[in-house]
Amino acid sequence: MAAAALQWSCSSGSVSEKEEDTATLTWGQAEEKGRGTTVNLMMWSGDPLINAYMQNYVRPALKEQFDIDLQIANGQGSTIVQNLMAELQAGKAESELDLMWINGETFYQLRQLDALYGPWTEKLPNGRYIDFDNPFIGVDFQQPANGFECPWGNVQMVMIYDSLKVADPPQGRQALLNFVQAHPGRFTFDNQFTGLTFLKILLIDIAGGPGSLNGPFDEAKYNIYAPQLWAYIRQLKPYLWKEGRTYPEGVAPMHQMFANGELWFTMSNNDCEVDNKVLQGLFPESARAYVWETGTIQNSHYLGISRYSPNKAGAMMVCNFLISPEAQYKKQDPAVWGDGTVLAMDKLPEEWREKFRALPNRRYAPSRAEIQDRALMELAPEYMIRLAEDFRKEIIQ
Amino acid sequence: MSIEEQKSQINGISLILIAVILFPFAFLLMLSLGRRWAYPMLLPAEWTLDNWQAIWGGQAGLGESLLLSLALSLSIATIATAGSFWVSKQVAYHRNRQRWLVLAYLPYVFAPVILAACLQYFFIRWGLSGKLGGVAIAQLFITFPYGLIFFTSFWTERMLSLEQLIATLGGNTWQAYTKVLLPVAKGPILTCFFQLFLISWFEYGLTALIGVGKVQTLTLKVFQYINEANLFFAALASCLLVMPPIVLLWLNRRYVFSKVI
Amino acid sequence: MRTTAHRTPHTEMQKTSTYIGLGLFFALTAFPLLLGIGYALLFSLGLAGMLSEGFTSEHWQAVLGSESFWETMAFSIYVALVSIGLAVTLAMLLVVRWPRTFESTPLSFFIYWPLAIPAIVMAFLIFQLLSKGGALSRLAFQLGLVDGLSQFPDWVNGQYGIGIITAHFFMALPFFLILYTQMYSHEGLKGLMQQAFTLGANRRQAAWRVAVPVLLRRSFATVVLYFLFVMGSYEIPLLLGSQSRQMVSVLTIQKLQRFNLADIPQAYTISVVYSVMVVALVLWLLGAKKQV
Repeated sequence: MAAAALQWSCSSGSVSEKEEDTATLTWGQAEEKGRGTTVNLMMWSGDPLINAYMQNYVRPALKEQFDIDLQIANGQGSTIVQNLMAELQAGKAESELDLMWINGETFYQLRQLDALYGPWTEKLPNGRYIDFDNPFIGVDFQQPANGFECPWGNVQMVMIYDSLKVADPPQGRQALLNFVQAHPGRFTFDNQFTGLTFLKILLIDIAGGPGSLNGPFDEAKYNIYAPQLWAYIRQLKPYLWKEGRTYPEGVAPMHQMFANGELWFTMSNNDCEVDNKVLQGLFPESARAYVWETGTIQNSHYLGISRYSPNKAGAMMVCNFLISPEAQYKKQDPAVWGDGTVLAMDKLPEEWREKFRALPNRRYAPSRAEIQDRALMELAPEYMIRLAEDFRKEIIQ
Repeated sequence: MSIEEQKSQINGISLILIAVILFPFAFLLMLSLGRRWAYPMLLPAEWTLDNWQAIWGGQAGLGESLLLSLALSLSIATIATAGSFWVSKQVAYHRNRQRWLVLAYLPYVFAPVILAACLQYFFIRWGLSGKLGGVAIAQLFITFPYGLIFFTSFWTERMLSLEQLIATLGGNTWQAYTKVLLPVAKGPILTCFFQLFLISWFEYGLTALIGVGKVQTLTLKVFQYINEANLFFAALASCLLVMPPIVLLWLNRRYVFSKVI
Repeated sequence: MRTTAHRTPHTEMQKTSTYIGLGLFFALTAFPLLLGIGYALLFSLGLAGMLSEGFTSEHWQAVLGSESFWETMAFSIYVALVSIGLAVTLAMLLVVRWPRTFESTPLSFFIYWPLAIPAIVMAFLIFQLLSKGGALSRLAFQLGLVDGLSQFPDWVNGQYGIGIITAHFFMALPFFLILYTQMYSHEGLKGLMQQAFTLGANRRQAAWRVAVPVLLRRSFATVVLYFLFVMGSYEIPLLLGSQSRQMVSVLTIQKLQRFNLADIPQAYTISVVYSVMVVALVLWLLGAKKQV
């Protein structure tokens, strides 16, 4: 019976090409089309400040300025991919999702599935302020965005520690091993994006430092260096939180345990997060962010439109608003989110440049200038997918 | 042991048990009113009504979720109760009733979230995923079997002879239902309604998967707040989730419990 | 009951409504399940799905040959057995020892309250109570039992599923307390006990030889069904479990929605194995019940 149903669905179904004519619309026409519509955005919703930014600022502003109703569904990269893939498989003509918060491996998988609409970013009027020449913005996990996703924020990973408990935080692999051996149970990394970024940083270091793994995925290199990484993690494992038998499901629980004092370290993909968490009163004022001497990964996160979104015009308008100087300025405020802007200061009008300059300084995180020369490029997405897989096989099981 | 002693012993046990039972509710309420609860403090450092005020005021959408969940669960309970009442009657006097009943037990004990994973393709295919209607249908798949199992035991020989009596006396089907069956079945119908309401009201995994996170019932909100480690709002949403069943209990506890086998 | 069928007055209209009824019955019970299991089976064999490349038994081999899958099944059964075992035992002891406790007001009212707590809230509560930063750990610190939260035991997200079992235990205990209280007072048990007394049994003997076996036998099917619920539970192990010991629902959804798209067929393979198990247990249970 299921087989019959399937056959029926397959025969009925190559996706009706609803490419419509969004591609040929001028911005003015797109605005006319998108006004008064509903846009469905799927995004990771694991941070209260980010959620507050979206709920309390973005949604009301979109409603007021464009009469757009932004609906936000919770789902991180893998959920987005699985959903869009299931839709494609079912031959659905219209996607449930219009806009998705993606980067790196999700972008790669969605491009492989041909699930993204594009190119579209050059249409956005505010796109002219974006710093596409910056390789940390224009290139996503070694893949050029090519107009299929729009940069939204730029961040660098940092380690966060409690300066009252840790006087001299470890600056590299060996130092970390020594540290956890002396203080077991105080360090861990999460089982998701941030933890995987941490693993990539270790892998780059093992492979010989900055740039050693740039370029497309290299199976041979991976097969040489990954076993060394797992050997190192196995050395760490008995001294990690819960003896490394389980890892926090995301940064939020890790932050919570850091706040409680159960952990002495946490980490963040956002260099400025420590400031917003201290301002919120979640982290103690003794919390500090730092970057290892061997460097950490800097990357950008993006917005993509699904290929069969029924409301591409609306999605573009939302996106254009999100990269507007106003929304980006608000987002960079450590008290709001503290997410680095993707706009190029030299392209902005003077008044906005002034405003960005006048943003309150970070107090607990190092300044961007200080850590910029310790920034590592993201690796090709296959590294992350393989690491995620092998981490389960080699370490958790 | 004298009866007096036994009584006081029972009272003592009762008091302890009541305290144990009420503790989680008090704890949830406390967290929902709190702010800044750092280790090792036993109680939050600040108390505030702000969280509760945010139900309607803020952009958190808690109020909307509450209404959505109420509307969804009340509709599911109504449809599934009425439907399974009628359908179970057709099956109850069937000679293979026991075999039919097996079919109802299967989805009843099947993990809803795995069912949802297996059916996801079809929900997308038929344009139901991410829609309230889709979530409602998916929830019918888990509530309806319960109703069927529940009512099958109601249709006994006695009910059949009552029906036959009406027929003998010249009554029609309509009269049989309105004059006899429904009045007799009032208690079980209410019980079933409350049970189905609760199944729908408590559902998380299936709703999240079929609703693509877009149909944001209260359970999804609780999960979202837990996910962002926002325990005060998680506690608040939990309070909202626990209150309607408590109200139902207060109205009549008899209806909230039944075993189905 | 089976003899009643031929006595039903069979008018045409009734026949039609019987067919409609049976149709609806099938459509809302077995149909979605068969559809889903069928799809999962096709997917697991590489016959459905975007990335499929034709028939293969590779996913079945991968799942059945992996230690972690069997560990997951064993862990799910272990959690269900322990939590239900404890809840049933304690409920039975309390009811048989103090049969009137749960009929007395106001406990007879409050005992229903825990039924108002959904699994996701129970998981949240247990986490806030039992985790290292939770309420019990704070209490232990305030009482001077531990010097800091690192000394507090690992009850949540741990290897032995203590958090998961505790949550399920507290979900099940009130259910079985109410169930046994009702059975004790309604199902002629008092009469049986009385008979035992007249035959010279003392209170303890009557309880152990009469009440407990009767309650156990009458609640057996319910206990097995509850066991299946716990085995398939999702929210509680999702929030309180550990990644190296997962329960079956959590593993399935994780395989479905993780980074590696090649894992999706494995998710469906696991679903099929789970389905077979549930179907077999239900058939056995209802078959056994018919014979009683």
